[in-house]
Amino acid sequence: MLDPDLLVQTVLNSIYAASYISLVAVGLVLIFGVMGVINFAHGELFMAGAYAIVALYADMHMPFLAAVALGLVFVGCLGLLMERALFRPLRDNPLGGLVASIGFLMILQALATIGFGVRMEHIPPVTQKVISLGNASFPLARLYVVIAAIVLLSALWIFLKRTRFGWALRASAQDPQAAELQGISIARTAQIAMFIGAGMAGIAGALTAPLVSVNPHMGHSVIVTAFIVIIVGGVGSLEGAIVASIAYAFVHTFVTTFYDGVIADIVGLSLMLLVLIVKPTGLFGSADRA
Amino acid sequence: MFSKFRAPGLTRRTFLKSTAATAAAAGLPGAALAAGDPIKIGFLAPLTGAVAAWGKPGLDGCEIWAERVNEAGGIDLGGTKHPVEFVAYDNEYDPAKARTGATKLIREDGVSFIMMLGGDTWPGVQPVADKTGMLFSTLLPSDLSPDTTTLIAPAEVHPIYNVTGVDWLAENRPELKTAVMCAQDDALGLPSVATYLAAFEAAGIEMQDEPLLFDPATTDFAPVVTRLLSGNPDIVCLDTCYSDYVHPIAEQLFQQGYEGQIISCTADFYDQMIDKTSKEFMEGFIFQFPDFDDPALNDPRINFDDPNGFYAEYNKRFPGQWGAVSWEYASIMDLWRSAAEKAGSADPDAVLEAMLADGTGKHAFGDAKWWGKDLFGIDHALVGDWPVVVIEDGKATIKGFRNIPAWYDKHGDLLVKHMQAYDQMWDQRG
Repeated sequence: MLDPDLLVQTVLNSIYAASYISLVAVGLVLIFGVMGVINFAHGELFMAGAYAIVALYADMHMPFLAAVALGLVFVGCLGLLMERALFRPLRDNPLGGLVASIGFLMILQALATIGFGVRMEHIPPVTQKVISLGNASFPLARLYVVIAAIVLLSALWIFLKRTRFGWALRASAQDPQAAELQGISIARTAQIAMFIGAGMAGIAGALTAPLVSVNPHMGHSVIVTAFIVIIVGGVGSLEGAIVASIAYAFVHTFVTTFYDGVIADIVGLSLMLLVLIVKPTGLFGSADRA
Repeated sequence: MFSKFRAPGLTRRTFLKSTAATAAAAGLPGAALAAGDPIKIGFLAPLTGAVAAWGKPGLDGCEIWAERVNEAGGIDLGGTKHPVEFVAYDNEYDPAKARTGATKLIREDGVSFIMMLGGDTWPGVQPVADKTGMLFSTLLPSDLSPDTTTLIAPAEVHPIYNVTGVDWLAENRPELKTAVMCAQDDALGLPSVATYLAAFEAAGIEMQDEPLLFDPATTDFAPVVTRLLSGNPDIVCLDTCYSDYVHPIAEQLFQQGYEGQIISCTADFYDQMIDKTSKEFMEGFIFQFPDFDDPALNDPRINFDDPNGFYAEYNKRFPGQWGAVSWEYASIMDLWRSAAEKAGSADPDAVLEAMLADGTGKHAFGDAKWWGKDLFGIDHALVGDWPVVVIEDGKATIKGFRNIPAWYDKHGDLLVKHMQAYDQMWDQRG
C-alpha cells in the first residue's frame, strides 16, 4: 500500500526539480534555436548565477531578491559577452561555436576557482520556513523556485508570442535568411536570445544557490540533465523542453524515491534513448532546427 | 627522455643509479643530501577541482608543520640538521596528471617522499612507484595491495574506523534499533557502505532497507531524504559522503522533519550545517574527525605535537577552513620524520624499513600497529585507536577513543563478508 504522505512528498520534490530544470533547459533551447549553437557553457552560467548570490547575498549581505535580480542581469551580460566575443565571429561555424563554448566553460570555472576558492560556499538560508501538507513538507525556499519558474516561463511565452521582439526571435529561429530579408537584425535577435537564455540559467542558479552546494564544478550535472531534457523534448522546442523537464523530473524523482538514485539516472538516459529510437526529433521537435 | 624512462628492460635499480648520477652531475637536489641541504617532500594531491577539499587544506597544514620543524632546527639526519620544504604538484584528481606529477617530483625536484590523497589517482602513479622505489603515502588504505610495497597508509584507515562510531552509538543509545543509509556510488562510498553494514550488524542494529546509492553528480537530495525517512528509522547514516552532500542532506533531513540520530564519517564545516538547521537539530550528530582544540587531544598518548596550537594557527591563517585532512598530512610527516631520524637518512628504502621495523608506529591518536593483511593483502596501514566525535551544544567533542583492531578481532568476519558483497576486497578490485 502506497503511503499517501510519501506520495505527496515525492510529487512536491518532483515539482521543484521540474522547475529549475525547465528554467535551465528553456534557456539552452532558446540559444540553440536562435543562434544554432550548442552552448556547453550553459551549466557554468547556472554556476555564475549561484556565485552572484555568494558575492551579493552571502558576502555583501544584500537582500536575497535584489541579489537574484542583479545575478540575472550579470549572467545575462555574460551571455551578451559570449554572443559578441564567441558566437558572432563563428556564426557560420556551429562546431566552432561549440568548441568556443567549451573553452568559455573552462574560463568561467577557473575564474570561480580564483575568485572564490575550490571549496563549496556557505550561503545562509533565505528562510527556514516550511509549508506542511499532512506529514509532507515543502520548504518555502523551494517554493520560490517553483513560483519563479512559472512566472518567468509565462513571461517568456508572452514575450515570444505577443511582442515584436518575440516574433523577430521566432522568425530568426525558423529561417534566419528570410528574417534578415524582412529587416530583422540577426545580431540583435541573437543578443536578445543570449541575454534571456543566459539570464534564465543564471536565475535558476541564483535561486537554487542556498539549496545546493555551490562550487566551481556545479554546472556539470545541470548541463547533462539539460541536454537529456532538450533531446527528449525535441532540440529547438521550448514547449518540448518544458514538457520533457516535467517528465524527466517526475521520473527521476519517483525512481530515486521508490527504487534507487543510480537507477534513476539510468532510467533518465534510457528515456532519452527510447525517445530517440521512436521519434528521433524528440517529442516536440521537427526535422527543421526550430 | 620520457620514452627512455619507460623503456623495456629498465629496472628499478638501474633507474635509481642513473637518476642519482644525473642528479649529481647536474647539481640537482635529492640525490644525496649535503649538510644542511633542504629535504624536499612531494605533495601530490588535488589542489583544484572537485576533490581539492581533500588536498589543499592538507598542504596548508603541512606548511605550518614545516615552519614549526624548521624553527626548531630541522630534521636531524645522522647529526646534521636539514630544513624541510614541500614541493606541491596539483594532480586535479586525475591519474594521468598524477603520474606526470610523480615523475616530475622525483626526477626534477629530487623529493625524498611523496604524499598523496590516493584513490583514483594511485593507479596512475603505481608504475612510477614500482620503477623508482619512491616511498608514497595515501589517505585511502583501499589503494593497498600486495603489489604496493612502497605505499603506506599511516594516517587514516578509511573506512574501517567508522566502526568505532557505530560501536559507541550502540553502547550509549541502545534504544536505537533501526537504521538507513545513503552514499554516493563511488570508490569512497562503497567500501564505507560495507563497513557501516558490518558495524550495524555487529551492534545488532537492523537495516530497514538496502543502502540508497546515488550518482556523484546528484545536486537535489530531497528525493534521497524522502526515501530514507519513509520507514521512520531511528538512525540515518550518511556513510562517507563528501561534504558537498552531507550539508544538503542534513538540511533536507531538517526540513523534512527528521528528529532522530544522524551518524556520518565526516561533518566538515559543521558550523555551517548548524546555520542551516539549528543547534538542537545537530545535537548528538556523530562523526569521526575532531577539532584539534579538543582537550582530549592533550592526552599524553596522542602523538601529534601541540594539537591545540596547531589548530589555533591553522584557524588564524585559514579561518573557517579546518576539515578532516587539515592535520592528516602533517601527521604523516611526524611519522616520516621520526623514521628518517631513526634511519639517519631520507632514502625511501631506509625510511620505510625504519618505519616498519618493529611492526608498530606512533599514529596521531596513539601508538598503533602496521596492519591490514586480511583486507588489503599487506600490513601497510597504521591502525590503532580512533576518536568518536559528537556535536554537543554546537561544538565537536571527542566522546572517547575506540580500538579498531580490537573491533576487527571480534567482528572481522562480518567486515570481510560485506566487503566481499560490494567487491571491495583487495583481490576483487579491478
